[in-house]
Amino acid sequence: MQVAELEVHNKSGLHARPAATFVKTAAGFRSKVTIENLTRGTNPANAKSLLAVLGCGVEQGHLVRVSAEGEDEEAAIGAVRALAEGGFGEAVPG
Amino acid sequence: MSDTAEPLVGIVVASHSAKIAEGVVELAGQMAGPEVRLIAAGGAIDGSLGTDAGRIAEAIGQADAGAGVVVLADLGSAVMAAKLALDMVEPQTAARTKLSGGPLVEGAVVAAVQASAGDDLATVVEAAEEAANMPKDVG
Repeated sequence: MQVAELEVHNKSGLHARPAATFVKTAAGFRSKVTIENLTRGTNPANAKSLLAVLGCGVEQGHLVRVSAEGEDEEAAIGAVRALAEGGFGEAVPG
Repeated sequence: MSDTAEPLVGIVVASHSAKIAEGVVELAGQMAGPEVRLIAAGGAIDGSLGTDAGRIAEAIGQADAGAGVVVLADLGSAVMAAKLALDMVEPQTAARTKLSGGPLVEGAVVAAVQASAGDDLATVVEAAEEAANMPKDVG
């Protein structure tokens, strides 16, 4: 299993387009991918489901843990890290 | 992100108002990206408020890339028109078209995103229905 812990800098957190972009990225891999909101202490949710990701209630400044398990887990986590660094496709402050 | 060029599930937004249908398609398209076929079928044939089975049938045909179509409707008579429309499309398209009881806006957004993620028809339909419970943190 590969794991990444990331702080979300987006102004609106992981909602709307950033959430959709995250889901599409996760869905591009065969591995099982989950996301937990460590700040809120949520249970792992299916990262390939928009509703599940929205249900994590990730706001700006929250810490999330993304886990991938499967044949392409390393690539999946790499892609998620790159996405987070790029602000989930959104311009991020600072 | 998908490594294949397999067809994606398409979405039809059937509303009594052409503006609503177009607006929902615009919003869902922003969220899901350009790969998903999202087709608006709003208003009566003369442009007034209403529904038109022929217009919905045409939209279903345009939305079907081979992976099926989810039709979201705003009010009961739009659902009736969508059911009529199923008799007007190619049988193989009708066989892989599902009417969703999900909420129009949230359902279309969620369905479009899951379709863009490459989910199959059953999964997209389920997501559209579950969108009624979309968390909005109204406090």
